[in-house]
Amino acid sequence: MSGMSLHKKLEEHSGLLIFGILAVSAVGGLVQILPILFQESLETPVGATAPYSAVALTGRDIYIREGCSVCHTQQIRPLIAEVERYGPYSRSGEFVYDRPFLWGSKRTGPDLHRIGGKYSDIWHREHLLNPRSVVPDSIMPGYPWLAETPAADVGDIQKKMRVLQSLGHPYSDASIEEAESELEGLTEMDALIVYLQQLGTAMPQGELP
Amino acid sequence: MADLPGDFWSGWIIVLTLVSFCVIAWLIWSVYFSPTPHPEEEHENEPVWDNNLREGNAPAPMWWFWFVLGATVFSVGYLMLYPGLGSFSGTLNWSQDARVRNSHSNYENQFAAARAEIVDAALTDLQSDPGMMATAERIFQRECSACHGKSATGQISLFPNLLDSEWQWGGSPEQIEQTLRGGRQANMLAWQGTIEPAAIEQVAEYVLQMHEGSDNSHPGQTTYTTYCVACHGADGSGNIMLGAPALNDNIWLYGNELNDVLESITNGRQGMMPAFDQRLDDAQIRLLVAWLTRSQN
Ligand code: HEC
Ligand code: HEC
Ligand code: HEC
Repeated sequence: MSGMSLHKKLEEHSGLLIFGILAVSAVGGLVQILPILFQESLETPVGATAPYSAVALTGRDIYIREGCSVCHTQQIRPLIAEVERYGPYSRSGEFVYDRPFLWGSKRTGPDLHRIGGKYSDIWHREHLLNPRSVVPDSIMPGYPWLAETPAADVGDIQKKMRVLQSLGHPYSDASIEEAESELEGLTEMDALIVYLQQLGTAMPQGELP
Repeated sequence: MADLPGDFWSGWIIVLTLVSFCVIAWLIWSVYFSPTPHPEEEHENEPVWDNNLREGNAPAPMWWFWFVLGATVFSVGYLMLYPGLGSFSGTLNWSQDARVRNSHSNYENQFAAARAEIVDAALTDLQSDPGMMATAERIFQRECSACHGKSATGQISLFPNLLDSEWQWGGSPEQIEQTLRGGRQANMLAWQGTIEPAAIEQVAEYVLQMHEGSDNSHPGQTTYTTYCVACHGADGSGNIMLGAPALNDNIWLYGNELNDVLESITNGRQGMMPAFDQRLDDAQIRLLVAWLTRSQN
């Protein structure tokens, strides 16, 4: 009769009931999520993964601001069709310096995780100014204003790098000092292209799969 | 789950999973099998609704029992076969990475023979096979049309026409293959600062009329002979080793207006063709070379 009397006890003592509910609903997280928080392979950069340079970091913020991730994913799934089309599938260690990651969830345009080196800077410039000038039936919007605004206007680059440094990204103090001068003379378009050109290049290209 | 942080977490997962199974087993036992001879008696003091409805007088439905049993059997089987129970990798030794690798190598093997045939085939044989040419065109559409245009005739005076007779880097199959595999980086430095603006204008005009036959009295010629012959040649026929285009034909990558040519000379040009030896395999490159040279025969 233990079953029923325990049932009765739980029903009549709301403190016990709350504890019981919490315990049962925590099991999934305790088994699936908690161990992963201590999993080193998620924290260890793979290949040549390095913290974003001041310019690439600024480009990344422009990518976020302009909503590129609304139409583009940065996540090549471990499926043969994706590996054939885009290159080696995305490894967790490639995203250790992404805060937040930009995996995205909808592909109106193609995945961009391995776009680095696929095209030239000039192509990216023309494509961002007016996608239809190089891909006649493209439905991507143009971003011509990026070529007119200075990259330094995005602002707070040193503060951003210092915050990331405090989160454990290995920026040297010198590289933070130089950050503003690195942005000098560059447009937002330049910074965005620098960001795009280094995407996915940390993994050795051509290595399988 | 092979790379768990250590034995502790592996044990943690195993213990919690097994405890969960035990709790489910106990729940099933207590609901369906526990000896409850007089359920009515136990609930005597509890309220009754609608004349006869009270706690404990309707047994839990059996479909629920079969559902939980089925789910439990499935998860035990799953945890035996596949990774999930701590660092135990399952008797099938399945992993996502191995699965991609396998399907990739199956894919490679499936087409290995066909690819080898393409690599060894004579270009003329490939060119006379409409199926092969259709495949080549598809590869071109996917990999190259973003720059060179859908019909390979070039785009926006930045990406060259590949169907005309001028080849900056050489038009033989070997040279084209070299272009595709290694990419090309052209470099003409900016001449502003070195040459006076007036002289730049003169040499631009000279260059623009070169295809009409050299005019020895043209005022731009001296500038040309001083600065430009090293790369573009005395007669303007170019140099494929440097990617310096011929200037004595009427084919212009960057446009045939005076302004375009002035821009090329004043600010220089750094055309870049990316390398494809990692993106494409030997057969695909061979097909593209055949496709690009199909009108030469
Ligand atoms: C409305 C959806 C949309 C938005 C927003 C968008 N794109 Fe695109 N993008 C596309 C589509 C569709 C394509 C494919 C056609 C083309 O190449 O233009 C594409 C193609 C691309 C490509 C070429 C990919 C390849 O492999 O050929 C790049 C690079 C790119 N986008 C970058 C960006 C950047 C950077 C932004 C933000 C500034 C952005 N896109 C915003 C839809 C979008
Ligand atoms: C990022 C844009 C881009 C892509 C993609 C691209 N090309 Fe090019 N390609 C260029 C540029 C720019 C040049 C001219 C380089 C120069 O100025 O010397 C060029 C030059 C060439 C040449 C040499 C032309 C000559 O006159 O010697 C060939 C051949 C060629 N490309 C073929 C291809 C093929 C085939 C593909 C697809 C596999 C391809 N290209 C993809 C930009 C591109
Ligand atoms: C160091 C070698 C070099 C020298 C010297 C040189 N060029 Fe060039 N030139 C090139 C190369 C390489 C290109 C192709 C650039 C490209 O494809 O991006 C080029 C391109 C050009 C073009 C563009 C052609 C087109 O199809 O649009 C013009 C015009 C030109 N050169 C004129 C000149 C003149 C005039 C001079 C002398 C003042 C000169 N060049 C000196 C290497 C050179």
